[in-house]
Amino acid sequence: MTCPRCGDSTCAVIASSPVPGVWDVGLCPVCHYTWRSSEPPRQSDPGAFAEEFRLTAEDVGAAVELPPVPPRRADRG
Amino acid sequence: MTHYDDFRAFLDALDGAGRLVRISEPVDAEPDLAAAATAAARLGDREPALYFTSVNGFTDARVALNAHGSWANHAIALGMEPDTPVREQVAELTRRWDDFPVAPTHREGAPFLQNTLEGSDVDLFRVLPLFRVNEGDGGFFLDKAAVISRDPDHWDDTDRQNVGIYRLQVKGTDKLGLQPGTIHDVAQHLRHSEERGEDLPIAIAVGNDPAVTIAASTPMAYDQSEYEMAGALRGAPVPLAKGPLTGLDVPWGAEVLLEGAVLGRRREFEGPFGEFTGHYSGGRAMAVIRVDRISYRTDPVFEHLHLGRPWTEIDYLMGPSTCVPLFKQLREDFPEVVAVNAMYTHGLVAIVSVRPRQGGFARAVGLRAMTTRHGLGYCKIVIVVDEDVDPFDLPQVMWALSTKVNPDEDMVHLSNMSILPLDPSSSPVGISGKVVIDATAPVEPDRRGRHGHPVRDHPETQRWLRVLRARIKER
Repeated sequence: MTCPRCGDSTCAVIASSPVPGVWDVGLCPVCHYTWRSSEPPRQSDPGAFAEEFRLTAEDVGAAVELPPVPPRRADRG
Repeated sequence: MTHYDDFRAFLDALDGAGRLVRISEPVDAEPDLAAAATAAARLGDREPALYFTSVNGFTDARVALNAHGSWANHAIALGMEPDTPVREQVAELTRRWDDFPVAPTHREGAPFLQNTLEGSDVDLFRVLPLFRVNEGDGGFFLDKAAVISRDPDHWDDTDRQNVGIYRLQVKGTDKLGLQPGTIHDVAQHLRHSEERGEDLPIAIAVGNDPAVTIAASTPMAYDQSEYEMAGALRGAPVPLAKGPLTGLDVPWGAEVLLEGAVLGRRREFEGPFGEFTGHYSGGRAMAVIRVDRISYRTDPVFEHLHLGRPWTEIDYLMGPSTCVPLFKQLREDFPEVVAVNAMYTHGLVAIVSVRPRQGGFARAVGLRAMTTRHGLGYCKIVIVVDEDVDPFDLPQVMWALSTKVNPDEDMVHLSNMSILPLDPSSSPVGISGKVVIDATAPVEPDRRGRHGHPVRDHPETQRWLRVLRARIKER
């Protein structure tokens, strides 16, 4: 399964519709995008995903921490 | 004073007042739920709450949107008459604020104890009909849940126990992303737990007494209890229960209670999310929550917030409760402050009316607004008007701007001030210029302009207002 947002090909189904066969929810292990298979193509189709919201693995790796992880008290001496 | 011990009682009150639209025909989770809420927000300030009971693919979804999303609904949430004007709602909130603190009560038999999922059975998708709000959102979020945490350095101090509404991105069946903004109390708790090298216990209550939701949206001091404020706002103690896993104090009437831990010293990509600024936040590496237990009422109602390009529900939810603390803090220093309207994007723009004491007074009050706790991250533009201008009546404010302001002299511009990082015009992120616009008429010894002869309403106008309102109501 391919992530519509970052293109990673190792996505997994994490939920399926209680009414069988209506939709599945996919999760990307790289950019953590989730989508429902029944959503419009601009949210669910790698080929039609909205350009302005596409991401790369590099974008994910470069994201700033909010809030930054503080030093441990034990490390402060 | 009418109050509600759970979200269902509030929904019944909205229904009884004709403020709830039930939609039982099948809809798609996306984009119908959010599109309907956007449409409701475009109806003007009389928009209803929406209650969906048939969402495609779900067998028993119940989704409530826009519950706080109009002045009428906001009034009902606080037990006021639905037609109470916004200025009077804020004035009443200001009066009730003085009753703080009202201690909560602890009550047995919380309805959320009816059902439990633990361990490997924990599955957010089994309990909540999750869906996307805005197209560019990185996933499905919880955006109206009360997030409860304590300071691990002061675990038994319930004044420091925090109840706040923070966005939570669903990242798995038992995993959430958490946005702890540096100004938020939960970020303090997380910092202390991470300094200790520990996880931070956390409880997340979905579907609550509407006064708890308003208090959780209110900018309060670190050591002030939101539950005690909710008690003041609703005129009765808030009933609480203990979270069965964490021992945290949680709203007794919650529809769904998630409990677990913010994982210490861990960050993971989160977002973007269409924020209350009407813009998407960027993606950032944020904190991660592991959900260890889900407790829920039978047939839970998923209370969700709709936010998009303002105005939407979040503006009604946060607006009045942003005005009150700013007003209180300004009044401590300047009794001449008459009213504060800080409802625009959580107070990025604030309008303050004053009785100027002397020349230069209005700009001093405007600068003080920027140095309040909330003003540090907001109050980018502060407009100061005379007491005869109602800050809640924008045409009057525009009149003051049109005729009292000489841009050569009536703007106080400050550079490199602090602002919330979500402000899309901040540069660098978190830093912005700010401006006070003095739209008061100059008073001695400031003798600029020719403002000595404004046209005033006839003194008899107030009597006629009462007559006309009564006549209109009779029709």
